[in-house]
Amino acid sequence: MSATVQARDLARGYTMGSARVNALRGVSFDVDEGEWVAIVGPSGCGKSTLLNLLGAVDTPDAGTLTIAGQRIDRMSDGDATGFRLRQIGFVFQRFYLMPALSAAENVELPMAEARLPRAERRARVESLLGYVGLAARADHRPSQLSGGEQQRVAIARALANRPALLLADEPTGELDAATGLEMIDLFRRLNADGTTIVVVTHDAQMAAAASRRIQMRDGAIVTGDGA
Amino acid sequence: MIPAWRGGLRGAALGVLLLSAPAAAQVIDSAPTRPAAVRTIALDARLATDAGVALGDTVRLSAIPGDSLGERAVVSALLGRRADPSEIARQEYRARLHLDQLQRIIGYGDRVDRFAVLSRGPEQRRTLLDAINGAAFGFKAWPSADIAVRTSRTFQVVRRFNRAIGVITIVASAAFLLCILLLKIDERRRDVAALRMMGISAGTIVKSVVLEAGIIALLGSVAGVGFGIVVAAIVNWHFQGVYRTTLAFTLVTPTTVVFACLLSVLLGVVAGWVAARRLVRVPALQLLGR
Amino acid sequence: MPVRLAILALVRHKARTLLALLGIAVSAALLLDMVMLASGMKENFQGFLMLRGYQLRVAPKGTLPFDSDATIDSTASLVAAIRRLPGVSAVSPVLGAQSQTTSTRDSTITAFTLGIFPDVQGDYELVRGSDLTDSTSLVANERWLSETGRAIGDTVTLAVGYDPQLRTVLGQRRFVVRGVARFFYIAATQPTIGMTLPVLQAMGGSGRRDRSSLLMVKAADSADIEAVRSAIQRVSPRISAISLEGATEAVEQRLGYFKQLALVLGSISLAVGVLLVTTLITIGVNERAGEIAVLRAIGVARTSIVGQVVMEGIVLTGIGALSGILIGLVTAQWLERILSDFPGLPATFRFFVFQPRDAGIALALLAAAGMLAGIYPAWRAASLPIAGTLRREAVA
Repeated sequence: MSATVQARDLARGYTMGSARVNALRGVSFDVDEGEWVAIVGPSGCGKSTLLNLLGAVDTPDAGTLTIAGQRIDRMSDGDATGFRLRQIGFVFQRFYLMPALSAAENVELPMAEARLPRAERRARVESLLGYVGLAARADHRPSQLSGGEQQRVAIARALANRPALLLADEPTGELDAATGLEMIDLFRRLNADGTTIVVVTHDAQMAAAASRRIQMRDGAIVTGDGA
Repeated sequence: MIPAWRGGLRGAALGVLLLSAPAAAQVIDSAPTRPAAVRTIALDARLATDAGVALGDTVRLSAIPGDSLGERAVVSALLGRRADPSEIARQEYRARLHLDQLQRIIGYGDRVDRFAVLSRGPEQRRTLLDAINGAAFGFKAWPSADIAVRTSRTFQVVRRFNRAIGVITIVASAAFLLCILLLKIDERRRDVAALRMMGISAGTIVKSVVLEAGIIALLGSVAGVGFGIVVAAIVNWHFQGVYRTTLAFTLVTPTTVVFACLLSVLLGVVAGWVAARRLVRVPALQLLGR
Repeated sequence: MPVRLAILALVRHKARTLLALLGIAVSAALLLDMVMLASGMKENFQGFLMLRGYQLRVAPKGTLPFDSDATIDSTASLVAAIRRLPGVSAVSPVLGAQSQTTSTRDSTITAFTLGIFPDVQGDYELVRGSDLTDSTSLVANERWLSETGRAIGDTVTLAVGYDPQLRTVLGQRRFVVRGVARFFYIAATQPTIGMTLPVLQAMGGSGRRDRSSLLMVKAADSADIEAVRSAIQRVSPRISAISLEGATEAVEQRLGYFKQLALVLGSISLAVGVLLVTTLITIGVNERAGEIAVLRAIGVARTSIVGQVVMEGIVLTGIGALSGILIGLVTAQWLERILSDFPGLPATFRFFVFQPRDAGIALALLAAAGMLAGIYPAWRAASLPIAGTLRREAVA
């Protein structure tokens, strides 16, 4: 099975005031197709920075990153945007749904951007909302949904264009324990259906549910692939 | 054509003479000395420029348009135009002749259109008016100020027009001001939420926001006054050039400055109060988006 | 989707959107009025001069018609000479003077008096009654009738050339009021009468014999107007032949102040509208920086985001502009009433003439303004670093 993600010696630093912070220092790892990897570590260890690189919303200072056979570490902004649209699904801690759109419209948004025909979009929205158990809430605005429901909509949106990789940044961070468990079940189902997932999480149960864990500290991997 | 009919004023006939000057004026002698029989005239400076006539030049004056004959006269002075708003749009030229010469040229005989009378003092004016009006049939004396009012109707129309435009502009500006202040205060929703969570009372927050809005409005109106002064200078420069006049077309007066600033501050305070009241009525957590 | 998203974004904050719409609407109204004023005057005036189809005017040399008391001499021979010119189909001589009559209330009424030939005249239209039939007929406007207290069928005594000092007149005759007329080129508030030209000339004494104030000339449909004008000019050195363009230019100079004011005010209202829309969109976009970063994160292209924000600007200015067109038509009526008070303004003259083209110009300008207003803030927001913005918005 080919690796969906191949990261080699990724490095990324930021300037905070007058200090230089090395958020990532020579991180290397692979994620195979269909794998579910959880990246864990204390706050400030570089988990979110790594996730941003995987999601092509940030570029590394050094190293190479290949996802679904494409080198994304040196992609132009336009190419990276298109890559995110078609190959990456992003789930955020704070859901980040468009408050003015309904659940169905939020899920439809990436497909509209990808110029899918309307009939196909509508059918896929119905299918995805059904998959996450929210078919009856399609017309509700985010303000009318619970936190768990909003996160489900966010997951459906992330799956809209059948991405090669699903990235999730603390997906249970804003949820209560019971809802968090439901979310873990959903991720389990997604992975069982073949979705490649990389999750950044503090949630021990979420981390335990994943097929592999990568432990990070101070910008480097301490256990897991590449350690 | 639009008739500019002024009952009985024959002085307008002079316009005929002078408007025909470009065709009829023949500079026959540009030498500074002149024959004793030739009279002098004072010519509109604009006509002199447009017709290429200079001081000392000799022109021909006639009451018949296109007449190649007529009396000669030497241009001994150039007249500047008064900054009179009722006159600036009119492109007619003016000239001053010796009275008897003009009477002769236009065949007026021993007649004039009006007398101007200078009284010895304002307290004598009423007595003088009554004496003149009782002296003979056929004419009437008016104080000059009354004439000015009657002949300034054009200017009054322009003033009312400008005032109407001003009203429309103020309505638009007021809407803009309210909108922008609401925007600015809405931007502060998280600050307001944090203050409420700290225990600061709604009243204190409203007062603070209103004060801030009032100051922004005041500072904005000061900047606006400066901008207005610059724009007024540009407008005056432009129209004074177009109409060749010293008339000031727009003036920034203390009254307009005070009015603009007061209105702006009032609107700012109202906008601040409305926006602040809206914000403090929303629960703090909701302001934070939770 | 972009239009829907734009409308939703605007509806999220109703108060500010409504206020912005009000501001844009009033600005659009002012812009429309100024466009109407700038373009309408010329077209209205040309239409106004062409009311009876007379394309040319002949006035004493160097003057505009009725601009002074100057008159044209040897009118009869001049009219005959002009009529013989190729391309001329009609000539209407007009003499202007003042006449006095006594009202039924025993006051003296001064009227502007036109001497014309009724079969070729182009100065009035009959409203009721009958036209001039003979040398004892006159037609009058409503104002004259109300001030003199007269009616159709009444006999009046008119005097011309009144000397107030000596209480003498040059000519005096009795007339019968035959009809009521609307004089195109005279203010409705000015008492005005019309009589046959030879009668007015005779009443004016030697000073008016065979003289006229103005000749109106109608050219044949196929004639070259400028060629006819030049031919007329060559007939006599003591006249000025004025075409429609020449007359328009002369009046535009007089009323040029309003045209320039219209341009200045129109530009200012457009600039202020752009400023408001830019501010509104900039602040709106700043508020949604996190949302925009998320959209970029899920793969929405920068151009799509810019397009959506620009669409917000266009929707805002579009709705505001359409409302503004309606408000502008109302304010134009108000401004027209103010300007119609100009002394000596003909009753039929209009400053504000609505043409769909004017509305189109105003709308197009505002739409362009709306588009421009949104471009810069949209591009800035779409260019923010995604990760940094998400981090900042998460912390906030």
